[in-house]
Parts: sequence; C-alpha cells; structure tokens
Amino acid sequence: MNNPENIKHKKRVTRNNKIASYVISAGGFGIILSIAAILLFLVYKSYPLSSDANLEKISTASSGKNKVILMGMDRFQEINYSLSENGEISFSSNSSRKVFSVKNIDLEENERIIFADKGSLRNETFALITNLNRIITAEIKMTAKYQNDKRQIVPSLEIIEEFKADSSGFSIKNFIFTFNENSDRIYSWTDSGNNLNLRIFGFDDEEIFQHNLSGFMNSDEIKSCAVNHSGEILICGTKTGELFWFDISDFEEPELIDNWKAGESEITAMEFLLGDNSLVTGDGKGFVSVWFPVRNSEGVQKFNRIHKFKKHQRSVERIFVSSRNRTFMTIDAGGEIILNYSTTCHTSLKFRQSQKKVVSASFSPKSDAILVTDEENSTGIYTLDDKHPEVSFKTLFNKVWYEGYPEPDFVWQSSGGSDEFEPKMSLIPLIFGTLKGTFYAMIFSVPLAILAAIYVSQFAPKKFALIVKPTVEIMAALPSVVIGFLAGLYFSPLFEKNLMFLFFFTAILPVFFLFAIISWKYIPEEKKVKLPGGSEMLYVIPFAVMAFIAASFLSIPIENTFFGGNINQWFYEVLDTKYDQRNSLVVGFALGFAVIPIIFTISEDALSNVPKSLTSAALALGASRWQTVKRIVIPAAAGGIFSAIMLGLGRAIGETMIVLMATGNTPILEMNPFNGFRAMSATIAVEIPEAPVDGSLYRVLFLTALLLFVFTFIINSLAAVIGDKLRKKYARF
Amino acid sequence: MVVNIKSSLSNLQQNDIQNEKIIIETRNLDFYYTSEKKSLINVNIQIPEKKVTAFIGPSGCGKSTLLRNFNRMNDLIPGIKLEGQILIEGQDIFDKSVRLEDLRKKVGMVFQKSNPFPMSIWENVAFGPKVNGETNSGTLNEMVESALKQADLWKEVKDRLTDSALDLSGGQQQRLCIARALANKPDIILMDEPASALDPISTGKIEETIEELKSNYTVVIVTHNMQQAARVSDYTAFMMVGELIEFNDTKTLFTTPEKKLTEEYITGRFG
Repeated sequence: MNNPENIKHKKRVTRNNKIASYVISAGGFGIILSIAAILLFLVYKSYPLSSDANLEKISTASSGKNKVILMGMDRFQEINYSLSENGEISFSSNSSRKVFSVKNIDLEENERIIFADKGSLRNETFALITNLNRIITAEIKMTAKYQNDKRQIVPSLEIIEEFKADSSGFSIKNFIFTFNENSDRIYSWTDSGNNLNLRIFGFDDEEIFQHNLSGFMNSDEIKSCAVNHSGEILICGTKTGELFWFDISDFEEPELIDNWKAGESEITAMEFLLGDNSLVTGDGKGFVSVWFPVRNSEGVQKFNRIHKFKKHQRSVERIFVSSRNRTFMTIDAGGEIILNYSTTCHTSLKFRQSQKKVVSASFSPKSDAILVTDEENSTGIYTLDDKHPEVSFKTLFNKVWYEGYPEPDFVWQSSGGSDEFEPKMSLIPLIFGTLKGTFYAMIFSVPLAILAAIYVSQFAPKKFALIVKPTVEIMAALPSVVIGFLAGLYFSPLFEKNLMFLFFFTAILPVFFLFAIISWKYIPEEKKVKLPGGSEMLYVIPFAVMAFIAASFLSIPIENTFFGGNINQWFYEVLDTKYDQRNSLVVGFALGFAVIPIIFTISEDALSNVPKSLTSAALALGASRWQTVKRIVIPAAAGGIFSAIMLGLGRAIGETMIVLMATGNTPILEMNPFNGFRAMSATIAVEIPEAPVDGSLYRVLFLTALLLFVFTFIINSLAAVIGDKLRKKYARF
Repeated sequence: MVVNIKSSLSNLQQNDIQNEKIIIETRNLDFYYTSEKKSLINVNIQIPEKKVTAFIGPSGCGKSTLLRNFNRMNDLIPGIKLEGQILIEGQDIFDKSVRLEDLRKKVGMVFQKSNPFPMSIWENVAFGPKVNGETNSGTLNEMVESALKQADLWKEVKDRLTDSALDLSGGQQQRLCIARALANKPDIILMDEPASALDPISTGKIEETIEELKSNYTVVIVTHNMQQAARVSDYTAFMMVGELIEFNDTKTLFTTPEKKLTEEYITGRFG
C-alpha cells in the first residue's frame, strides 16, 4: 500500500482534487461577481437621477455704483456682462471678476434706463426703455475666438433699432420685449394711465402696428404682462388677480380670447416657459403657479392652473426662465430666490444672496450657472448643478400633467422635434407594455407547452416522442430576430388579412375535436389495440385539418353576412376597437414561439423524471392513465413545471427583438389585444443610440434596464425558491 | 440451509390443492418481452383462494413476469406478446369486457421497493378508493383506518395521518404500500419480493402481516428467499427459465420435491 508509486499517486489525486475545487469555486464566484457587477453598474448609471439640484457660489463682486438693469453670461461661462441704468455695459471675466471691456449705449445726459428685457431665450437680444420714453433694441454677441489654441470670448454690441414710445405724458410702468425666429419684434408696455400699449414690428412687410388694449380691461390696473416667444399670446395680470388672454397673432387686430380670476392677490410677475406653452405667474402673496391651455369639455381652450409651487414669504417680483428646460426662478421682494421645475412641480433650490432686494438675475445660456445682483450692486455667480430636473420618482411612476395634455397621464415620449420639447418619461407604459406582452405570450404558450409536455412524456408513442422532443428543442435555438422578422413582416399582414378565418378556426377547432372524440369510440377495439399507445392524438390531426378547410371555406361568407364584409372595420365601427396590424396577438404568438421550447423542454424533463415506480403504483391501484397523470405525475413534477413556467416568463419579459419588430412600439396603456405596446427591453434597444451619454434619457434607460434586471431576478429567484419547495413537498422519491 | 427450511416447515400443516377453491388459473401461458425471447413457456398453474402462494426460482426464471401478468402490469411495456389464457375467478382477464381498472382494483399489488406517493399517509391509503370513485370522506376515513389496521400500521401512524408518507421508515413504508393495496378491498394481493429491501425486523413484521392477511385475501408472493417462502406460504411454485417446474403445497415441495431440479435448487446446489 505504501510503496512510493502509491504515495505519489495519492498525492496526485489530492492535488488534482484541490485544483478542481479551486477552479470550480472560482467559476462560481466569478458568475456571482459578474452579476453583482452588472447590478452595481446599472445602479451607478441610474443613481444620479435621484440627485437634487446643487448650487455653488463661485464669487461675488461689486459691479459699480449704477443700478444694474440686465445681466447675461456667455455659453462657456467665461465672461458676464451687466447693463447699468446709465447705458454702460461692462464685460468682466467670471474667474477674475475684472472688467475687461466696457461698451456704451448712448443716452442723453439725464436719461436713465428704467426697464430692460431680453427678447429671446436663444440669444442676447434685448430692448430697454428710458425715463425719456426712448426704446432702444440691441444685441450683445459674445463670440468665441481661438488664438494659439486658447479660447477667448470677444464681446460686441449692435444697436438694432431706436424709437420713441408715445405715452402722452404717462410714465412707463411695465415693459416687455419679444423677439422671435421670424425677427418680428413685439414691444408692450403699460403706463400710469393704465394703458396697455403694443408695438409690433412685422419683419416680413416691415410694418409697424400700434395698439392700445386698455379698453378690453375694465379699468383694472395692469400689474404684469407676458408675450410668448412666437408672438401669438399676450397675457396681462391685474391688481385684482385677474388674467387677460389676448391673441396677437394678427398684428392688425389683437383680440381678447378669455379672462379669468387667478387669485385674490395682484399678479406681480409672469413669464412664458421654454416651449411657449406654460405660463408662470407670481402674485402679491408669494404664490407661484404654472398655467397652460387645456381643451375643456366643450372643446374650448382655457388656461388651467396646472401646478402650484412653494409659496414665497413676500410678493413675487421677478421670474426668470431657463433656456434649456422647464426650470424657472422666482424672486420675491425679500431677495429670496426659489428654483422650480415645472413638469415635476418640484422645488429644487431655495437660496438668497443677501438680505437685500434682488434687482436683476439671469440664467446662463446652458442653465448651468446663475447670476444675481442685489440692490447694493453686489453680483454673485453661482454654478448650478441640476442635471436631471425633468426626472423624479413622480414623473417616472405617477401621472404627470404635460403641456398640451387634457389631464395628468402616464406618457412615454422621450424626444421630440425641437429643443423646446418637454420630455415625458413615465416608465409605467413601458412596464405595462412588458407585462402585456408577457401576459399574451404566456396565455398562448403555457397551456400549449405544458399540455404538449404531458402528452409527449406520458402518452405519446416512444418513437414519436423521440422525434418531437429534439425538434422542439431546436426551436429554442431559433434566433429571436428571425422570429421577430417573421412575426412583424409576414404574420402581422397575414393575420390582418385573414382575421375572420383565424377567429372562426379557433372557434370551430374544439367542435371538430369533439367529433374526433366521439368518433373514436366507434372504432372497434381490435383495431385500437393494434395502435401504439398514445396514438389517439395523431388520430385528431385529420380533424384539425378538416376544421382548417371548413374555416377557410366558411370564413368569407360569414364575414360577408355577419360582419359587413370586413371584420376589421366591424371591430372599429361596432366595438370601437381598432385592429392594428402589429398587435399583441401577433406578439403573443411570436413570443410564444420563443417561450414554448423552454417551458416544454423543462416540463417534459420534470414529467419524465417522475419515477416509474410511482406511476406503476397508481396504475396497480386501478387508476386510469389520465388519473395517474393528474394525481401523481403532475403533482410530482409540479416543481419542475413551475420552474419551467417561470423561466419562460423570464425569457418573455427580457425578450427584445420580437417585441421590437412585431409590436409597433406604441407606448399606450390598453389591455386590448388588437393594439400594440412598447416593452422596456425594446425601448432600451431603440432609444439608447439616441440618448446622449449621461443625459436624462440615458440614465432613465439604465434605470429601465435595472428594473428589467430586478424583474427577472425576482422571477428567477421565486422560481428557484417555490420550485424547490414544491419539489421538497411532492418529489422526494 | 436445508435444516433451517425444514425446521420452519415443521409447524406447517399439510395442504391439499385438490380441496382448494381455485382463484387464478393460467392455461398454456406463453409470454414474450420481445418476439425472439420467450419469457414464460407453457405455464399452467392453479392458485388457490385465501392462501399464500409463493413463487420461487433463480433470477430471471419468470416468476415476477408471471406475477405481473395477473394484474396486467406487463401491458405497459411496449412490444410484449402473450398467448394462452389467464383466468381470475373463471374470467379471462384479457377479455374485451374486462376493464383494466376493475381488474387492478380486484388484484392489488405490492412492489419490491416501497413506493409511497409523495403525499400524506392518509392520502396514500385513500388513493385507491378515490380513483375508483369513492368521494364520501367518512367512508374514506373508515377504509383508511381498516386498511392500516390490517397492515399492522394503524397504531404507529394514527396520530400523524397527515404527515408525509415519505417520513416513515422503510418497513413502515412497505406496510403502508400493503395498506394502500388493501384499501381497494381486493380479492388478490400480488407481492413482488416485498421484503427484499428491508432489514430482518421489518421483514418479520411484513411476514406477520402476510400471515394475518390470508384469512381474507389470496396472497401471491414472489420471493428470492426460500426460508421466507417456507415460513409464510401454503403453496409454493418453483420456476426455472420460464417454465413452471413444480407446484405443490409448501411442505411437500420443500421436504419431498418430485423433481430433481427442485431438490437441487432448494438444497442450494444452484441459484
């Protein structure tokens, strides 16, 4: 026993054993680690969505003695400018705060600027009005120039027009300027005589129109105005808290559309948000609201109060709007600044620069910085870090009232035609879509696969089973692209064309099966004995063929007689459901194809693995074959069948190509089998190439992936745990 | 070995097949698993009612095959062929009018390896009556209790009828299988080496149970163990290579066998 040869051999066996166990455990740990790593990566990518806005003060500096009227910054956050009441525009560097250039708008000696307003969110075109009622329009350009590979921002000033506002002795109280893409310039101002004046320069025919709209307003004192950037809507707020909506798209003939009470307090400030739809108003009591027009039950557009925001302690004085998204800041008389996001109704920040009143503020062009100047001419620069304001738990999982929608809803529409588009990223339609697709796939595939597995394992002739099982297993190897392609491009039109046939065939197939069962009884026993066991099923096939033939002959006459010749039309007219070509039935069918092999193979194995001794025992007790299957085989295989269904479910949930190609990808929330859906997996596949890296959509897609991961993880774990329990209970043999 | 058998035979009384009522009879029975190989050759046997009949013989002699034909369990195997007749209570069991389920209800079976269903003890015993149409729970309870009592298991399990049958010991499981067969109220119980996988104590209990059963049932038992055959059976059939060599009352067969082959086998010269 202990000769050297033997000892050597033993050592080698021990060593190999050790190596094998190390390799195997390393493999196991590797798998667990990689799954954990995927999970962590998904969390890491989607976690920033939950981060709140962050404001960081870079510096404050005094900007001279004159009152600051208007401010702005270049898009690289390198320089800023401030326009003082004496017409002096000083450009200073953000980092050193040193003034490096001063440009002047020529004013008369005792002339002072009283208001200035930027006309657009796209550039730094502004108009100002002086105490001498002179209106000057100008544009500041801050162009980036590169010298020796160093960026330098070169400012320039261009005066666009200059005219005298006719105010017949009244002093100007409000002034707003709008400059749109068509280069129309719209000026509106109110004066101490409660006149609302409108001057429009129509660029196309270079005409000027002047209107006094005070007559519409029942002598209520106007406190604030706003004109949207396309120059179609003018809204005025009054002292009594009423809002007046004018349509000014016809330059020659402004028209009062509607007026309504917004609150008890005077409307002190208002501004249109990016996208020209939503109007932010602030009132004397500090309430801030967002309004946009919604069609009411009579089909008339009315402004509705959509969101209410955190209340200011003092009256709201100024509102500034981001040019990037639906962020806006409201500033009250006490100098408190609140940053809100319209869609989410979320207040992201609340801060004050000092105890002093704020005279001017501005977002940087990319909304990544804020400029604030207070009464004492101290100007602060803040960087704003709010990367994903449009996404919150509420927008992802709750109903949100989006611009232009009649009511709050779950909507997925991640991108639109323009930069002003309001992203709608509710995951509910996607989750619903995934569940809907899975549901239809499962009701199609589970009965089919499990009954087939029972038949093949328990009843079918051995030779037949030996052919069927590998064939079905090969089905599992079909690439889902191929199935999706077939479903989307071949089966969808085929189904649509032969809808009546499909319905009719499904309806008469059981009837023909019944015929088969009845006629089976009339076959003499001697002949039955000669047939191999389980061939009853094969006997049914001719009846299925007969049903097929009957359906193909009868479906057209039936369609003509009962459904007016076109069942699709009939569905639409009588049942008010539209039959989409790519719908959930097609997907259920195609997805079923992908799922059936999994469920079939695993259940078949489970059923075949029920020991012969159990079935023999049941048969020996006088149980029929079906009783044996029902009472012994299926319960004993229940764990395996359950696992099979859950694995199939996991596959259906995660399946991408089939749902992508065969659903039409419409993110709607309807259980109707005749229309499509948009699944989470398909959304990721379709939209990830369009999503800018680290943008909100990008992260939301990662969150979707995370959800999908969690879904399948839970399902697979449930499958393991419950399957195990069932096995312990029924399958200890 | 021979001494042992003889000692266990000493307290057996002599039986006479002429005086017995016959319950199972085979006539010129040939049986093929495949068309080439005959597994039973011209077997003619008459098994008396309410007695214990043992089939002995070396491995592969066809004793289990013969047993399994009595409740047509061989029907499950594809490719089999059977010629001749098997009559149970005078009825040809391969006749078209015989429902397989009824036959198996009448002819219960206990297998070599205990095979309780993965269900509770109660469910196991009630399985037979249930599949044969009994639904009344009171009746089922009575049937379960009576079957378990007959199988000598009642005392051990009466307080845990809802426990899984798989928690029972090996011997208990086999007695449960006997109870399960009894619950169908069969006339005949076929036992295919029922104690071969059990320890001596459990085997003893099974044998006691068989002893008690014979007043009410016909028991046909296949066994490898000649002592067991000698201990429990009234009649013994010795088979070899598919043929029935000798069938007689147990005492006669073991003490004065007519055939030389039988004597050689029971004295341990082969087998």
